[in-house]
Amino acid sequence: MAVCASENGSNGKLEFVLKVPFPTEREAGIALQSLSPDPEPRKGGITKNMDVSGQTLSVRWTADEARILRVSVSSFLDHLSLVMETLDAFGSPVSQ
Amino acid sequence: MTVVIGFEGSANKIGVGIIRDGEVMSNPRRTYITPPGQGFLPGETAKHHRSVILTVVREALDEAGIKPADIDCVAYTKGPGMGAPLVTVAIVARTLAQLWGKPLLGVNHCIGHIEMGRLITRAQNPTVLYVSGGNTQVIAYSERRYRIFGETIDIAVGNCLDRFARVIKISNDPSPGYNIEQMAKKGTQYIELPYTVKGMDVSFSGILSYIEEAAHKMLGVGQCTPEDLCFSLQETLFAMLVEITERAMAHCGSQEVLIVGGVGCNLRLQEMMGVMCKERGARLFATDESFCIDNGAMIAQAGWEMFRSGQVTDLPDSWITQRYRTDEVEITWRN
Repeated sequence: MAVCASENGSNGKLEFVLKVPFPTEREAGIALQSLSPDPEPRKGGITKNMDVSGQTLSVRWTADEARILRVSVSSFLDHLSLVMETLDAFGSPVSQ
Repeated sequence: MTVVIGFEGSANKIGVGIIRDGEVMSNPRRTYITPPGQGFLPGETAKHHRSVILTVVREALDEAGIKPADIDCVAYTKGPGMGAPLVTVAIVARTLAQLWGKPLLGVNHCIGHIEMGRLITRAQNPTVLYVSGGNTQVIAYSERRYRIFGETIDIAVGNCLDRFARVIKISNDPSPGYNIEQMAKKGTQYIELPYTVKGMDVSFSGILSYIEEAAHKMLGVGQCTPEDLCFSLQETLFAMLVEITERAMAHCGSQEVLIVGGVGCNLRLQEMMGVMCKERGARLFATDESFCIDNGAMIAQAGWEMFRSGQVTDLPDSWITQRYRTDEVEITWRN
């Protein structure tokens, strides 16, 4: 899991990138579909984009303030670990 | 045969239930109980749900004696409720639906209560009193909607009871409302409280402020007991609920009342409603705590009706919503 946080000089916004490797492409896809439907509760001040490339789920945040970024990332990590626990507990996905 | 698994976690209960064509196959549940004087907060409640949800899913499957392959649809609560707990439960429902290759179905929590009440009691077309910690509504069915005839204009009746319990430090185990009900049986003195029925609607926040102040004043000098306050609060709140239910019945020409929601398992409320029904020659339907209080089977049952009438929720549309009125849902499974 590679993480980097940086302040983007050009627009003064905070950025945070998270890359999450999964055992299979399908599990990464399931995680994306499970985690993406709910919009950020807060209106404005933060954007979050998710996509999957191969077995890796990538998430990129852009935020005005570190405080807002922390709340969003922290809640995302809680949700991510719940998805991973669910995948572990209920086995490998059915192949389609 | 259609088998639906339902996930509920919009407040402090987390439940997973399995329904097969009207039969409750399993319905395990856990409750997040806070210390006396404290309510449940969204973040802490979500944490509780995360820590037990997979155990509860496993219990539901084991008790029902079925395999994921036997399930036809995964239903979950879309709203209304607290955001963080709703998201937690929706995430697990989405993940399992994908793992098992089953369609997903987002259910309105209030519709879940109504459909579970109808299933258990076999009431045909009742006037529904839906009373819980988050909702207070009088509902009747007409033209493909459950229409709200009256509702609270501020806090829910259960919220009024819960917050009063916090003021005088009544235990939240198993629930504040249950403990108030037991204490009310020992009350002997009726303390007059504001009675705030406004047309078809009710208001509880002023009653709460009034009794909070009365509690501080009267308990300190021994003018009344906590039991007297519990008794007086219940009598006042429930009289208001019976009044608006009766008015809705008269309006609709209905001869059936169904009480659902967590406050609905209060036997004193059922007794008072029963007296009114008897006077009108109407029938009262109510359920016990296993189905009145939030549970997974109620979401499975509403999901079963929705699924059988051809509905599913696509994953991108499966977002949760804290506000979701009962009358927003088109009832595609009734005439």
